[in-house]
Amino acid sequence: MGLGFGASVVASIGLTALYALGGQPQLEGILLGVSLGGIALGLILWGEELMPSVPFVQERHDLPSTGQERGQAEESFEAGAELVERRSFVGKMLGAAVAALGLVALFPIRSLGTRPGPSLYRTPWSAGARLVTVDDEPVLADGLQVNGVLTVFPEGHTGSADAQTLLIRFDAAEAPDLPGPLEWTPEGFIAFSKVCTHAGCPVGLYQPQSRELFCPCHQSVFAVMEGAKPTAGPATRPLPQLPLAIDEEGYVVAQGDYLEPIGPGFWSRGRD
Amino acid sequence: MSGRARILLLLVGIGALLLPACVYFQGQTERYSPPATPSATARTGNELYARDCAWCHGDQGGGTSRAPDLVTGTNGPAYTHFMLTSGRMPIDFPTQVIKRSPPAYDDQDVDAIIAHVDSLGATGPPIPDLDPAAGEIGLGAELYQENCAACHSTTAVGGALAPGTARDISGTVARRTGLVAPSLEQSSATETAEAMLVGPGTMPVFGTETFSEDEIDSIVRYVLYLQDPIDRGGAPIGRIGPVAEGAVGWIVGLGALLLVARVIGTRTGDE
Amino acid sequence: MIKRTARWIDDRLGASSFTREALNKVFPDHWSFMFGEIALYSFVVLLLTGTFLTFFFEPSVTEVTYDGAYAPLRGVHMSDAYRSVLDLSFEVRAGLVMRQIHHWAALVFIASIVAHLCRIFFTGAFRRPRELNWMIGVTLLVLAIFNGFTGYSLPDDLLSGTGLRIAYSIALSMPLIGTWMAFLIFGGEFPADQIIGRLFVVHILLIPALLVGMIGAHLAMLWRQKHTQFREPGRTETNVVGSKLWPTYAAKSMGFFFAVFAVLAFLGGLVQINPVWLYGPFEPQQVSSPAQPDWYLGWVDGALRVFPPWELRAFGFELPNPFFPAVLMPGITFALLYAWPFLEARYSKDHAVHHLLDRPRDHPVRTALGAATLAFYAAMFFAASIDLLAKWMRVSVHTMLFIFQVLVIVSPIVAGWVTYRLMKALQASGADRFGHMPLSALRSPPETSERS
Repeated sequence: MGLGFGASVVASIGLTALYALGGQPQLEGILLGVSLGGIALGLILWGEELMPSVPFVQERHDLPSTGQERGQAEESFEAGAELVERRSFVGKMLGAAVAALGLVALFPIRSLGTRPGPSLYRTPWSAGARLVTVDDEPVLADGLQVNGVLTVFPEGHTGSADAQTLLIRFDAAEAPDLPGPLEWTPEGFIAFSKVCTHAGCPVGLYQPQSRELFCPCHQSVFAVMEGAKPTAGPATRPLPQLPLAIDEEGYVVAQGDYLEPIGPGFWSRGRD
Repeated sequence: MSGRARILLLLVGIGALLLPACVYFQGQTERYSPPATPSATARTGNELYARDCAWCHGDQGGGTSRAPDLVTGTNGPAYTHFMLTSGRMPIDFPTQVIKRSPPAYDDQDVDAIIAHVDSLGATGPPIPDLDPAAGEIGLGAELYQENCAACHSTTAVGGALAPGTARDISGTVARRTGLVAPSLEQSSATETAEAMLVGPGTMPVFGTETFSEDEIDSIVRYVLYLQDPIDRGGAPIGRIGPVAEGAVGWIVGLGALLLVARVIGTRTGDE
Repeated sequence: MIKRTARWIDDRLGASSFTREALNKVFPDHWSFMFGEIALYSFVVLLLTGTFLTFFFEPSVTEVTYDGAYAPLRGVHMSDAYRSVLDLSFEVRAGLVMRQIHHWAALVFIASIVAHLCRIFFTGAFRRPRELNWMIGVTLLVLAIFNGFTGYSLPDDLLSGTGLRIAYSIALSMPLIGTWMAFLIFGGEFPADQIIGRLFVVHILLIPALLVGMIGAHLAMLWRQKHTQFREPGRTETNVVGSKLWPTYAAKSMGFFFAVFAVLAFLGGLVQINPVWLYGPFEPQQVSSPAQPDWYLGWVDGALRVFPPWELRAFGFELPNPFFPAVLMPGITFALLYAWPFLEARYSKDHAVHHLLDRPRDHPVRTALGAATLAFYAAMFFAASIDLLAKWMRVSVHTMLFIFQVLVIVSPIVAGWVTYRLMKALQASGADRFGHMPLSALRSPPETSERS
């Protein structure tokens, strides 16, 4: 026991010195642990010594109150309640006032948030919006090689959580095999929403060899050549496709917003 | 504990060990011997290629049903250098899992094979010229997080990928075995840059159209940092996150305290 | 000197008779009764370390450019919250060890609550008159899980930010009220600016206040009703046998507090936890693999993975997929947990007062159901790491997924049946310990009349 407490004192002194010298996490943990552990050891050993040779016995009393105690409590309550019951109309008005105030008191909760409104149905993508990378660089038609992938945003909305989009490049020769309308996929470019339709994680893994997008959170797989349709895992809907075009200056642009709400489902998703 | 209970526990333990082993080994298939016999005197790129590569990749590097071609797309010096120096190639049979292994060739032989592949008309990028020390590590961190972390993990330990049941570029149906984005903990600077430029296997291409030399240097510099990062908090326990932490919390944390409780408290039967 | 202080206080409060009663109070000291103490003392450690952290954490999403001691992120844009956690980890003296002790304490806190819950369940300690305390206990578990989640989401790093996005989607998935719930909690469309600030208020004030209050009620009821005890010589339904609070129980319990703190301190200094500087700041278009929540939410994450791609849609309305594994299933879980004492009392027709505990074998159906339930949640819990398991075993992720989909259904059935047979065999064999039971007992069918 004495050893335990003694070790603790030494460790505490060590901690003080260490702290004065600038600290170091591993040593801090060890010294603190010894300091505390020494006290623990000492107290536990002392407790073992103090263990009674024969355990103590204590009687349990009945938990419920006696009939008499209950009766007396009820009487005290009734004495006051009677006086209130006589003014039943006033009592009811008090009830109404409290209820009404209670309802009003809930209103500040509404201040916590904006109304959902149309925000879940729209993203900042619009017709003619240039695709930019996270560094605000617009994407030129020769700015992404075949089998490359880029995360892009509409110009002016870099970093937008719901506008995040995957831009993938195929060989132009494969263009006829690409999903979606032909005019959405110029020069082998194709774009899908990056927000997983299961629980909203960014679908960050692209596998060109099998043309699959893989979400790391719950392992949904989306087949790009089938319009990013989910082929495994818990996702139930394809990733919406963004219609693309190449403008006269050679930049890749969007033709408009996604045609359906991006991301995970919600109650009224089908009722825009 | 009684003798019989001991035997039962032993059997359960063996069973518990056998199960993952069975699952692991079912991924391997039977061996396939290449037609050519090794020659100890093979030394020129031509001879090495003919001996070790041609039976899968074709005499002129045009590919066969067993392996893709070596001349189109990003195939070329960088890709070949990447595959050979990381020991991913050569493999013994076509369906073998392609992963990092001890390299089969020394530098001289590697250069010879690369020269031969180049002479076949490969279109891919050359071996990059790097200067990671000139890269900005903060920029590298940002670019890595943006482009690499999703597959290779923020801590570069690698991660699982989708099994890839679709037809791959070589036209063969990929087998339904697990694919991984490998750990980057042993990648050299050159390998890292080469992988970005060529997109080996199922990795996308992160080439010079999208990344400047400075950005590539920066990403490589950050990857090299991740191979020996600052673990100021103590033992890094794999850097895989909450799974390892939960295991330690239960087994070490709660476990130790349950033991202490057992010592402090009484047991039924004590008096 | 103690006597003079005590007399000074007693002059003003007259607490002597209470003090005498308290000091002499008898507590049974079986070792399995100490699990709750692990939780209590971990909570104290959380309060102490957490208070330190609140002085340095900045609950703000204002974007800053980092220029601190951690060189690899210099020049990187991040929220002020993330920056303050980097400062805590690299510049505040003892900051990192405090952060780590705090996080380890949270993991052990909830683990010990679960261990404690299992002990209460398998010994029938939730029966009358302790149903109310059981319900408070379940509430403490729920509050602890929420506080853990809000806590590790504060640093605004990539891993926890991804978890917040999933939480937002789960809120969205609720029928009728989902979009309002999500927008009210977060303050708008994800990732709204207010969320870190709100999580901070919930984490350091609202939930801890509730926890302190409910822990107080939990202990007060325990004090009033007196602790349960195992059926042993000398123990009856009308007595309590053990050590007195003073000096024995106090010494051992205080020692245990220091032991809990010591273990957490060793972990906090020696084993790295939540190295947010390696995860990077949260950006909504970034994600990392592997992606798991802290262990106590693993069962929900696993459920999200194994639940098949089913959804209900009609007339433009829908119940999206995450609703079933992440709202309905946990809701049913906690509803059943709350209701269990009453369900069991009704099924077993046992409404008597119990101060003596069952051994698991005394109630084979309850024990088997408990084992089946644990197997169910354990299967979902391990399912949260299928990507890691697939990587290590070089097997397809979807093979792993299928294995766990099977396990989630099959393992509870197997666990329940095996447990039931084992408990009946233990009963029949009369062995005092599991290890002393001969294997032959398993072969003979249960003959004794059942007290299920």
